[in-house]
Amino acid sequence: MTNKVFKWILWIVLVTVLAGYPKFFGIYYTNLFVTFAVFAIFSVSFNLLLGYTGLLSFGHAMFFGAGGYGTALALKHIQGLSLLPAVLIGLLSAGVLSLILCPLVVRVSGTAFAMLHLAFGQLMHMLAYKLRGITGGEDGIGGFPIPPFSIPGVVSINMKAPENFYYFAIVVLGVSLWIMWFFTKTPFGQIQVGVRDNAMRIDYLGFKVPQTKAVVYVVAGAFAGVAGSIYALFQNLISSGALDIFTSFAPITMTMVGGIGSFLGPVLGAAIIQMIEELTTRFTEQVELVVGLILILVIVFFPMGAVGLLKILKQKWLARSAFKASLEKAS
Amino acid sequence: MDPKTAMYVAQGIHGLAYGMILFLVASGLNIIFGMMGILNLAHASFFMLSAYFSYQFLSMTGNFWVALLLAPVATAFFGILLERFLLRKIHALGHMGELILTVGVSLVILAGVKIFWGTESLPLKIPPFLSGLVSLAGMDYPVYRLFIITLSLVVLGIMALLLYKTRLGKIVRAAVSDADMVNALGINMPLVFMIVFGIGTWLAGVAGVAIAPILLVFPGLADQIGMDAFVVVVTGGFGSLSGAFIVSIIFGLLSSYGVQFLSQLAPLLMFIFMAIVLAIKPTGFFGERE
Repeated sequence: MTNKVFKWILWIVLVTVLAGYPKFFGIYYTNLFVTFAVFAIFSVSFNLLLGYTGLLSFGHAMFFGAGGYGTALALKHIQGLSLLPAVLIGLLSAGVLSLILCPLVVRVSGTAFAMLHLAFGQLMHMLAYKLRGITGGEDGIGGFPIPPFSIPGVVSINMKAPENFYYFAIVVLGVSLWIMWFFTKTPFGQIQVGVRDNAMRIDYLGFKVPQTKAVVYVVAGAFAGVAGSIYALFQNLISSGALDIFTSFAPITMTMVGGIGSFLGPVLGAAIIQMIEELTTRFTEQVELVVGLILILVIVFFPMGAVGLLKILKQKWLARSAFKASLEKAS
Repeated sequence: MDPKTAMYVAQGIHGLAYGMILFLVASGLNIIFGMMGILNLAHASFFMLSAYFSYQFLSMTGNFWVALLLAPVATAFFGILLERFLLRKIHALGHMGELILTVGVSLVILAGVKIFWGTESLPLKIPPFLSGLVSLAGMDYPVYRLFIITLSLVVLGIMALLLYKTRLGKIVRAAVSDADMVNALGINMPLVFMIVFGIGTWLAGVAGVAIAPILLVFPGLADQIGMDAFVVVVTGGFGSLSGAFIVSIIFGLLSSYGVQFLSQLAPLLMFIFMAIVLAIKPTGFFGERE
């Protein structure tokens, strides 16, 4: 009972903080928060593959980019397209891309899966870079119109104000996060974990392993597309840079830092990385050095990431308090 | 001979030279993968590091041979450090950890190169005795490309001798099929792993020195050839040297003739080739495992 009340209080506090955030912290930190939220969703969708299904992808940026380009191209070429359909187009274009790729990639796993994605990711990057007529190459597509959020006859909110966009982005990303969380809690989510732990056994139990992987793959791709779509709207720009290898490394770093094993680990990781990047870019331009060192240190010393570290600390704390209690009892 | 044939032959020589370089890099990757199961994503970074080392040695001593000898050794030293102090520690975590760790290492090398040598391209002159053209059967060939092909063949020969005629080679070949068993037979496998990792990075180093005078030395060098080498390994089959050799030569020729006929889309040819091969045989040409 108290647990339930506690949960409700937590939710109310969270919603109030999120709602009041732009008022308290100003424009700069509001925009920073939107970036964080975008990468948090991107990382969580990546973790559906790595953490839940055991598939490491070095090319997740292609779905991010597909979502961004889908939205940007749709808004540029379709007159009077409203906001939610534009985001939906981003989701669909990333989903379709993953549908096209999945027959090829679900047959492999482990290193081959990672390498295939490295290659496909580079292929997409090169396509976006070379096909200047469609994608604008390195300059990208910028300055496309951003429609207001409108439900006809009810409400129309201008999305050009950063504060309004913040609320829109938070709601869309929050809903995506909730759907993905729900997805992992279904029986299907359990099969996913089973595929990660012992694919052969899942096969013997009568579940279809490649098909399971394919579904997870498409879902992960589609939500990376949502993240990319929001990112394109937020920047009002999408360029071939959004598809490059560093964009693919971002969710890997965030997931590793946050902790592979848990659903919210990547969110925590995204927050930590965002903070570190924000701090380091003030002092040095060597972002690669910092990211590389973080990856090495995390892998060598804290392979389970921040969530794993918190768990260890909690256990130690519990053990100590239990020890103290036993001491008090004895005395 | 008419100019058209001459052009085709010249492009063929370029393609062969590039294919051999690709094979040197890919064979290093493949030896390490075949034996330790580690796909070293920092491999191309070692290749780039060696190109920078050769620039450094060349500007210090002015002798190309010294650079050719020392730069790969220095690179191999760094490779051994990586194996001994980082990779060995996380071996228990499985392949995910190793992949991500080597990504981290490649980022650190990239940043280090930028700090020490700056971001601009460094020109490296072809040594005078290897520049120019040589006439053979009424056609002119660039000497340096021929030198690269010869060098690669020599290195290949040494590797083959090492692998098939020495005790170390025997151990390595045994370890490729079952490393645990070899370890149980009383052979110091961690040491062998270290040596093999060193040889793998040495091979990348040789390729780095050889290519430095053709391309400029710049921080993007690793991306450029690294991707090609990975595609070679995936397409040829993980751990298969003969597969890597054939695919390297095919890619070298594809890229040089591709530039001639479809300049814009030449880089895509390789990926299309890979996608076709993998769609038919997911383990690659000669690969038996994933």
